[in-house]
Amino acid sequence: MSSASVYVANRRPLSHTIRRSLLYFLTAILLVIVLFPVFHLVELSLKPARDAFVMPPNLIFAPVWDNYALVMTPKFLQPLGNSAVVSVATTVISLILGVPAAYALSRGHFRRDQALSLWTLSTRMAPPVAFGIPFFLIYKQLDWIDTLHGLVIVYLTFNLSLVIWMMRTFFDGIPTALEEAAYIDGASIIGTFWRVTLPLCAPGLATTAIFCFLMSWNDFFFSLILTRSEAVTGPVAIANFMNYETWEWGKISAAGTMIMLPVVLFSLAVRKYLITGLTAGAVKG
Amino acid sequence: MAKNLSELRVSRRQLLKGAAAAGGVTLLAACTSAAPPAATQAPVAAGAKPYAGTTVKLLMTQIDYGTGLSENLADLEQKTGIKGQVDMLAFQNLNQKADLELSTASGAYDVLQMIYIRTGRWIGAGWAEPLDSYINDPNLTDKAQFDVPDFVSGAIAPFTVGGKIYAFPWLADCTIVGYRKDLLEKAGYSKFPETFDDLQAAAAKIHTPDVAFFVTQNNMHWIYPNWMLSYGGKFFKNPPTDLTPMFNTPEAIKAADMFTTMCAKYGAPGCGSLEAAVAETIMHQGKAAVYLDGTGNVQQIIDTKRTQIADKFAFTQTPKGPAGHFPQLAVHGFLMNPAGKNKKAAWEFIKWAVSKETMLKMAMNYGHIATTRSSVLNNADVRKKYKWGDSDLTALEEGVMKQAGEGGYMAYRTVPSFPPVGDRLAQAITSVISGQAKVNDAMKSLQTDVIGILQKEGVKINP
Repeated sequence: MSSASVYVANRRPLSHTIRRSLLYFLTAILLVIVLFPVFHLVELSLKPARDAFVMPPNLIFAPVWDNYALVMTPKFLQPLGNSAVVSVATTVISLILGVPAAYALSRGHFRRDQALSLWTLSTRMAPPVAFGIPFFLIYKQLDWIDTLHGLVIVYLTFNLSLVIWMMRTFFDGIPTALEEAAYIDGASIIGTFWRVTLPLCAPGLATTAIFCFLMSWNDFFFSLILTRSEAVTGPVAIANFMNYETWEWGKISAAGTMIMLPVVLFSLAVRKYLITGLTAGAVKG
Repeated sequence: MAKNLSELRVSRRQLLKGAAAAGGVTLLAACTSAAPPAATQAPVAAGAKPYAGTTVKLLMTQIDYGTGLSENLADLEQKTGIKGQVDMLAFQNLNQKADLELSTASGAYDVLQMIYIRTGRWIGAGWAEPLDSYINDPNLTDKAQFDVPDFVSGAIAPFTVGGKIYAFPWLADCTIVGYRKDLLEKAGYSKFPETFDDLQAAAAKIHTPDVAFFVTQNNMHWIYPNWMLSYGGKFFKNPPTDLTPMFNTPEAIKAADMFTTMCAKYGAPGCGSLEAAVAETIMHQGKAAVYLDGTGNVQQIIDTKRTQIADKFAFTQTPKGPAGHFPQLAVHGFLMNPAGKNKKAAWEFIKWAVSKETMLKMAMNYGHIATTRSSVLNNADVRKKYKWGDSDLTALEEGVMKQAGEGGYMAYRTVPSFPPVGDRLAQAITSVISGQAKVNDAMKSLQTDVIGILQKEGVKINP
């Protein structure tokens, strides 16, 4: 085949190129819209107070780190640390308890397994505010207010249902024939679960873990109600930069960027699993 | 130090107590009326530190005054031995948190911020300890030094019920106006308009699409009354004895019409729904000519760290109306929690937190102009500090406090039913500003709904 004919064969129709360019263009616009608040948050955190809201905005400026220096105090760093401890603990415990429960519900044959699944959702059937006073009164009696374990337990009640429902869907998508093959080879139920099923569900596990982490990391309501000074978490600490006389925009944006950063980095690190997990089951194979 | 997961162990007794609490959730009302424990501390001996090792916790809003208290706790400890702790929350969150702590008699905080519009409700519910026995006990209080009469009348009046004092004020937010002198002068105004009618006329002259005439914050039940009372309108017929709502009177409707026109026609974009900090920012950007709000907020527009046009601002009193001049006042104090465990130490804390020395320090070092002591407002250094060009902020502050105290027109704000009524009023005003409702319809519907709210709360009214 001559080089000219190869060239002709590889040429794409003009309409395809235009369509593709249009798609890229629309994607870029969508990205700008979606990411603008994030950009604005970071931009505000790096501008001196006087320039923060100048119109028209200065898009090219020498960044200053004053706002970050101002929030790097125990007043914010301790709550940030509390957020990390509570969120990691909640995520780990939710997965340890919820994943086997989801597996049992997926593979077991109970008389009322549908009803059981539904009841696990009961903690999410009302807005958090409905549970606020009951939790406060119970915790007051237990002397659990303003404790990290108190927060972990309250987040567990919400996260467990999330883990069970999400992981059950992933387990349902794994063919039982693979497990049966492992049984024939002499594997136990736990061994099969650990060596065969769970590795196949790794993307689902990563997705579920991220959602669990985010639920605890971003919670504001329970942290406000059930803490006072020692166990306060990041979101409440950020809100406290809203001074009675004025809002400290620079500190709010610097603290907001700092609280967003770990989640962004974690999501980037596991993005491969995240995308696989989010699309799993979207197409019936 | 933060409590950690190692404390997860729970005794059987704790679990049983928790279960009992869960069962008792529906008995919340009963829990809230629990009798306060008796004071247990010994009287103060002169020169001694009887409170050494005692911790007193304060819950208040996030504000520079609170930062000042936090940073000066060593003074308190040196004088009394008390170890103080100041927990501060954003104001919106404080409202929820303080209500919860007091209603459940948790006793976690010894001293709390008395929130102005909750005064009637909290005192009525017994959630604030009467302080007279502490004031009048010579072992606990040096009356000459503490000097109760030094508190400006308008500031202490809301916390005095039935001749008893339930809290001491530390913040008196008074509505004033901050304005762009250059823009008004350019339009031919050598001084700020004295009446709301004149203000409207000035707005028509000065407002442009680029620079709005007016901006204010979104707390409508705090801003609109400046107009409402000045035009002869009222919230209630004769608070606190006759709470018949008066929102459908011609005066209230006229005031609502004037105010909503100011916001909708001459206001900055979003006027009526902007947070105070956003309104301040609009002034900083030079996007509005006039800002009406409390002293605590309005003075922020001259923060030279945040604006390059601070020298163009001036301050004055709010305009008058046909019925007179009614600038608004919001006072916040410190109350003693009846469920607290260290009442005498809490009293020492309150005395220190509102003392002349502390308040002077706050005024001089922490930008606290909304002070409540006459001696501080008349201190030469304070007066000098709060002079901005020709504007005398301390004189404005003291003037409003005295006027509100002597006039007694702020009584509407401390009736126990005010918070839900205020919220409903804010909805009505916002709906008119946003063009969703006509002013007549909104005010009539407000009247009907408020009657319902009051009747639901057991208030007898004569519609």
